[in-house]
Amino acid sequence: MANLTTTLGSLTMKNPVTVASGTFGVGRDYADFVDLNRLGALTSKGVSAKPWAGNPGVRIAETPSGMLNSIGLQNPGVEAFCAEELPWVERLDVPFIVNVSGHTVEEYVQVIERLEREETVDAYEINISCPNVDAGGMTFGTDPHAAAAVIAACRKATKRDCYAKLTPNVTDVAEIARACVDAGADGISLINTVLGMAIDIRSRRPVLERGVGGLSGPAIKPIALAQVHAVYRAVEVPIIGMGGISCATDAIEFLLAGATAVAVGTANFIEPTATMTVIDGIEQWCDEEGVDNVRELIGALEE
Amino acid sequence: MSDERYPRGSSDEPIGGETASANDSCAEDAARAGRALLEEVRVLDNYEEAPGVWVIALESPRVASLIRPGQFVHLRLTGFEAHILRRPISVYGTDAEAGFIELMYQVVGSGTDWMTKLEEGDVLDLIGPLGQGWRPPLCARRALLVTGGLGAAPLTMLAEELIDAGVEVETVMGAPTAQRLVCRERLEGDGRGMVQVATDDGSEGLHGFSTVLAEERLQAAHDGLIEPYDYIAVCGPAPMMRIVCATVARLAPQALCEISLEKRMACGIGACLSCVVETVDGLKRSCKDGPVFAAEEVVW
Repeated sequence: MANLTTTLGSLTMKNPVTVASGTFGVGRDYADFVDLNRLGALTSKGVSAKPWAGNPGVRIAETPSGMLNSIGLQNPGVEAFCAEELPWVERLDVPFIVNVSGHTVEEYVQVIERLEREETVDAYEINISCPNVDAGGMTFGTDPHAAAAVIAACRKATKRDCYAKLTPNVTDVAEIARACVDAGADGISLINTVLGMAIDIRSRRPVLERGVGGLSGPAIKPIALAQVHAVYRAVEVPIIGMGGISCATDAIEFLLAGATAVAVGTANFIEPTATMTVIDGIEQWCDEEGVDNVRELIGALEE
Repeated sequence: MSDERYPRGSSDEPIGGETASANDSCAEDAARAGRALLEEVRVLDNYEEAPGVWVIALESPRVASLIRPGQFVHLRLTGFEAHILRRPISVYGTDAEAGFIELMYQVVGSGTDWMTKLEEGDVLDLIGPLGQGWRPPLCARRALLVTGGLGAAPLTMLAEELIDAGVEVETVMGAPTAQRLVCRERLEGDGRGMVQVATDDGSEGLHGFSTVLAEERLQAAHDGLIEPYDYIAVCGPAPMMRIVCATVARLAPQALCEISLEKRMACGIGACLSCVVETVDGLKRSCKDGPVFAAEEVVW
């Protein structure tokens, strides 16, 4: 049987599979369908310093092989997260990555400072790439200096691993990745959703109240693969690759492109057991192909 | 409609394969504890009940035995993968013994249009039972059900259950035209329930909306001309439900009023926060905290 264990920075994962932030809560809603302890790691929905209500109106739209969302990082804030979600996560035996969101550099730091008091948290994913909030989010992730400023401030606030979660909505994602690594990021997580729009021709209005949203699902996989590979060639740190992964083949493509771990996102909405299917499929494929250790696949793309 | 309409599939092979059968007992334990199942289901029938309104019957023994009125299933359209999302559809009828459920759907887009092409024997999968259904008070004696269009479908099982429990059930239905007054027979419950209808085009019953009929009934109860209602359940387009809720608040504030709110959903199990509803207690998820909400809880 192939060895699926992988090392992601300071974390040891039973297999390279985690979930994309915002598609899985902290796993509670999926407990009916999957054994959460089988995940390589659990990644939380975005957590902010204060409660965020998210966006009003229609929040999703189905698009060809994908979906747009405009949730807007609705979350109860870090205090409620610690009180209501962490005790539940504590019972799991799985590395826990918390996705951190903010409107300002100070807000990101506030979240981390609060979470530093909690032993359940193993690493942070710094979300500088959400397209659905007006302040912060993607505005940090599209400028190397702004991205570096957030990462540097978070770096100072913790010794735990910090992953910069990047947006694909840039000209050169490698430049942003390098700026984040120079500012102290232990790894890079990408891609967040692709900025998109859906229009209702009858009302002549955008389907989403905010006009634009973030595209996810199989439609974005080729974009994600290209960006993961570009970042793999630009930096030395581990990469969590994501964007349209719904089966083992997709996941293996990301490993070959240079990802150390992969995240299943929108596929969880379609098949709540998607993470398990991906893990089982990677193992089966490795066995069939004579791959003894899944780590052999990382960046093994032949060019 | 006869329950013998959908005999069990001729094949003895349980769909879902070995895993599903092996997990049967633990899956059912899980569902009894209010948890959801993932079930492969076979199409037993799929027919046009009224112009543009279809009924699909699915062999789904586990969900059929567990689903409660007002709950829904989240259907995956196998073979239609470019449209990635599941379709949430409320359950219109169920027969636990025969192991099937019936869903009513209106053809409104490419997904529902594709569904009309499904034939007996096709296999889909669904997650269910999902959501909080209707919660009529145990002591209810008289209920008023108010429907608009396809909003009648999530109320049929409730009507049947209330009637069987000896509750007096009156229904006021609205539809664009007489042919679209779907679910009427079931709401009438073999003559044990009373149904009044309204149509937008005046082709049957009141020329107008069911909101007007609802107001008439509630006014009559308020004026002591008929016995008061202690439970009111509403399902239809949002503006119609808002009007009925306001009427109930004015004329029957002592009654429990519930509404079923359907929002656009992705996961259907509470994780994605696509389908949130504004309530007096903050944002709630239509898929998990609803789709049925107490009227007084909802902020319009």
